[in-house]
Amino acid sequence: MSQETFWILLSKKLSGEASLEELVVLENLILEHPEWQLAIQNLGEIWKYQPKKDQTEEEDAYMLHLQRMQELNVPFGNMPDQTPVVSMSGRKKMKRWYWAAAVLLVLASTWALLMKPFKGGQGQEMARQVSEITTRPGSTSKVELPDGSMVWLNAGSKLTYNKDFGKELREVTLSGEGYFDVTKMKDKPFIIHTSNINIKVLGTAFNVKAYPEDKLSETSLIRGSIEVTIKNRPNDKIILSPSEKLVVENDRVVRRGVVQKPVDAPVSPMVPMVAVNKLRYSPADSSIDEIAWMDNRLIFRNETMEELALRMERRYAVQIQIEADELKEMKVNGIFDQESVAQALEALKEMIPSINYVKEGNQIIINR
Amino acid sequence: MPENENIKRLLTAISVNNDQAAYRELFILLHARLKQFAYSILKSGEEAEELVSDVFIRIWQKREQLENINSPLLYFYTTTKNLALNQLSKQKRQVNLSPEEWLVQVNSLYFDPEQLMLTEEMFRQVKKAVNDLPPRCRLIFKLVKEDGLRYKEVAELLQLSVKTIEAQMAIALRRIGKCMHFELKTAIPARAQTILKK
Repeated sequence: MSQETFWILLSKKLSGEASLEELVVLENLILEHPEWQLAIQNLGEIWKYQPKKDQTEEEDAYMLHLQRMQELNVPFGNMPDQTPVVSMSGRKKMKRWYWAAAVLLVLASTWALLMKPFKGGQGQEMARQVSEITTRPGSTSKVELPDGSMVWLNAGSKLTYNKDFGKELREVTLSGEGYFDVTKMKDKPFIIHTSNINIKVLGTAFNVKAYPEDKLSETSLIRGSIEVTIKNRPNDKIILSPSEKLVVENDRVVRRGVVQKPVDAPVSPMVPMVAVNKLRYSPADSSIDEIAWMDNRLIFRNETMEELALRMERRYAVQIQIEADELKEMKVNGIFDQESVAQALEALKEMIPSINYVKEGNQIIINR
Repeated sequence: MPENENIKRLLTAISVNNDQAAYRELFILLHARLKQFAYSILKSGEEAEELVSDVFIRIWQKREQLENINSPLLYFYTTTKNLALNQLSKQKRQVNLSPEEWLVQVNSLYFDPEQLMLTEEMFRQVKKAVNDLPPRCRLIFKLVKEDGLRYKEVAELLQLSVKTIEAQMAIALRRIGKCMHFELKTAIPARAQTILKK
């Protein structure tokens, strides 16, 4: 072996690039030259050593990076909608941002003020570093929170929590639908904020359905116990037992850009209607309807076509237009299990033979 | 290499869930390395900082396509290199800058006197030897040893052959060995050679 080959092999070994054969050849060679052992060991040590860096510099750099993204109008989660432009003109402004720690404090607070407060305006709490998880229409996702609690998010949902999660409280905000399995921590209540209800749990499993465009939000308790407070009725605390669900009528219903108030609301529009129901169990296998989505099943009982269309839109990531008004109000029952959207549409046509549908890509029109 | 696996996991979270915590983790993981790399081309700390920020803006904007990258580290380094070289040419600075002219600094050479049987003097020699490496050799050494790129990735990044990378790494190691008075003066038996020839 030439010297060159020896050094190639040794450097490959230290870099983790040597094949098994090469390692064997090298090891055998080294065994024959015990006088090399010390030097080779030293080389190995020098090679391996990586100093442990503390991360503060990187964390500061990240804050500056977020600030810069905002200044350049790059949409990032819960920032107000802006057109994404990474323009060169942003560069000229940037000279000043490479500054000392004192300025960082100012930047951090400006940034926090610019962000939309996500806790319904509690005032004293600034939204610091926020973690946000979103799911697209047609997909679900499983998230593990810092305390070990698991959340399954249904399609078209958003879950956010901030850096203080787990310090004294465990607070998250939910838009959409999620199934929560919360780690028991008696001294750290787990609180979920949706647009019109707050749910406090100690440790339990339950489903929350709170899509902003839906008429109703539902909280279904599977096990444990939870306390639900409605935002406009702070003194009413409702405690659910397993197999119960709480249904809250959202005080405003926004459907496809048109704002409607519930026409026959017997109470003032500011106070939503509330009902406690029992969860529905499927007779066939005693599974619970409200969390069928986790098994990728869509169960609908006595729902209008319009409501079903909305659920299908979320599940299949399509757009559905129902042309005939009387069709929108028609009530249907059924289960979609592993069906594709095309199969689901065929199934609907079998249930209601007079309907016709046109499907182009992910645009669907249903009429008579 | 476990690090690429970790990065792939983060990219999946970012791509599928818009997971901002994963994005932050990725930034913190890569920032120092990419900044140094950008610095070696741009030779300005401020510009390097901005460039890495640009790379990460791209990562966020293109996040949906990030799920299936095979060599994510190579992807980040290549993006950084391209953006940096583009910037130089836009500003009409040092057009056609070759890797030999990149300013490379190797930072992670340390030693623990309790662990190693090296004198401080020897170690100073080692550091000097690395800094005296020919520029391309030093760059390759840094990318492999400090930045954690595979030979294949370095080859791709610098448009060289893997054999070249092997040879350069061997040169670097031999020079370090020399500082520790470890030089091969005797030839090694030929039987080892036949196994290697494949």
